[in-house]
Amino acid sequence: MNHDTLGSGLVDTRAGLVDRAIFSDQQIYEKEMETVFRKSWLFVGHESQIPNNGDYFLSQAGREPVVVTRDQSGEVNVLLNLCTHRGMPVCRYDKGNAKRFTCPYHGWTFSNNGELSGVPLNTEGYGGKLERSRWGLIRARVARYYGSIWATFDEAAPSFEAFLGDMGWWLREFMMGPDGEDDGLEVIDGILKCEIPSNWKFGAENAAGDLYHDVSHKSVQRVGLALTGLRGRHTWDADKNKFRMLNITFPAGGHAVRGNLYEHAMREYFSQWGANPEVDEYFRDAHYARQKRVGERERLLNRGGVVFPNFVYNAANRTSVTTWIPRAPGRTEVWKWVFVPKNAPQVVKDVMRNYLLRYTGPAGMVEQDDFENWGSAQVGAESVLARRLPMNYQLRLGGEAKWAWPEPWIGAGALVDEGVSEHAQRIFYDRWSEMMTGQPRPFRREAAAE
Amino acid sequence: MTTETQEAIALPFHPELKVRVEDFLAYEAELLDERQFDRWLDLLDDDIHYWMPLVRNFEFNRPQDEYSRAHLDAAWFDEGKQTLLQRIRQIQGGDHWAEEPLSRSTHMTTNIRVAAVTETQITVKCRFLLYVNRREEEVRLFVGKRTDILRPVGDGFRILKRSIFLDQSKMLFKNLTTFF
Repeated sequence: MNHDTLGSGLVDTRAGLVDRAIFSDQQIYEKEMETVFRKSWLFVGHESQIPNNGDYFLSQAGREPVVVTRDQSGEVNVLLNLCTHRGMPVCRYDKGNAKRFTCPYHGWTFSNNGELSGVPLNTEGYGGKLERSRWGLIRARVARYYGSIWATFDEAAPSFEAFLGDMGWWLREFMMGPDGEDDGLEVIDGILKCEIPSNWKFGAENAAGDLYHDVSHKSVQRVGLALTGLRGRHTWDADKNKFRMLNITFPAGGHAVRGNLYEHAMREYFSQWGANPEVDEYFRDAHYARQKRVGERERLLNRGGVVFPNFVYNAANRTSVTTWIPRAPGRTEVWKWVFVPKNAPQVVKDVMRNYLLRYTGPAGMVEQDDFENWGSAQVGAESVLARRLPMNYQLRLGGEAKWAWPEPWIGAGALVDEGVSEHAQRIFYDRWSEMMTGQPRPFRREAAAE
Repeated sequence: MTTETQEAIALPFHPELKVRVEDFLAYEAELLDERQFDRWLDLLDDDIHYWMPLVRNFEFNRPQDEYSRAHLDAAWFDEGKQTLLQRIRQIQGGDHWAEEPLSRSTHMTTNIRVAAVTETQITVKCRFLLYVNRREEEVRLFVGKRTDILRPVGDGFRILKRSIFLDQSKMLFKNLTTFF
């Protein structure tokens, strides 16, 4: 395969077909690192992880190791965690507080804003001529968005807001407290990290809008997880108001959201935390407070989605973020941040934390079954015989999706399908293919024509 | 040489109790490995706190950063009997794909030491090795330290608190579907 054309011809979203090689081929993986990941904005963490000057934590911008710091002037920095002299990670602690990082190899020392502040033998060895400004840690462009921290190493990338497009409202809404307060979340301390034997895209496309995979979660539905007093895993199961289930995609950026659009404005609250009246009371008040703050979009329930390529979130009381860190075609590191509303009473934080830790990650009663299934899907991606058949993404294929629908305020850049559909996955792979090949894809052209 | 002035470190030693505790922990491991989950659940006190913190790489002078805090921070497990019961019911339905078909496990405990004894609580420290083999090729090897608080009940014990300190910062495997 020619490297320049890698990625073309592998994705046919008009026909709903995706070549299995994109999940298993080493050359395609390497090209993804250069194109998809290097040119995108990537989530690296949340400001509540570094409340004080000098605080830092290690993170990943895709496959690249970074250290996220709050420097002595309070600014947030995302620095490539590799010494500019010999490439050692200069910070080797998962979190802490430091004004500077000293490389353990030769002692080059960098301040927490990345500047090279000290070099052994600076006078005797370098004659005092080392260009310090050139040899600081490599700095990413940083965007701070309602508490979340994003980074890109691509100087040519658009602004973060332009990258998000109409997805911006959903990300902003996700970062709100349940009462609609902007920047209303805080991280429960500790990032859950594990490794799954599958390609990074399985997790990403699932979050884009796979409403078809209920059988995966049959067991947790049976035993129940949400504190609604009902079985099931979602708190909104207890909401009796009528809604339309939407797959809302933003083809220009490849982002997508799963959302409920409730039929009536200002709907009443149904008890969703019935097992704990105090917590239920908090969410009742928050429900009505949010309606006043959010405006006409209060009819939407943000269930979760993907910011292309590898940031996925679960919302609707399951406030958590996952990034898929591609380590190899068939090996992905999973990082999880769990959030609670920062201004909620402690009892609410406790109950949500408990719910989320049982829901998410390798010990989560929901996501264990996802990880198992994606590991199994990888078997099919690597099978020579199975590769004669592409993966099938034909569910509700055929132009049912509509722009800026069912309400115009959903956004001119939104292409929406209703119900159980693989529309969002098709958009995800359309954008992936566009970034891999540099060629505009069908859905973007439709957008331009409208 | 200062050996004559050095005091011996006196550790509490409870030989009879230790034998009974060892027997109890071996029996408990048998129940898990034989998938007798309901009988295993009977060994847990109704108020059990079952906790496995996250593990971090920490600065030498910040040892408090090594483990996430119980009841406050993220954790692999931080729960009570009701959730453990739900996990067992999930496994027992034949539709929990992460444990269907069931994995094979062998629990080994060693370095068992009765660290403290009161009338109502026995603190036991040990090291564990848990081998899990799943489907054909999947192997998970968990090694770490455990501190259990046992409550004497009649001639036996109930587990009142289990703290599991796994020697991994990043979980090297995809799932934690076995009990520790």
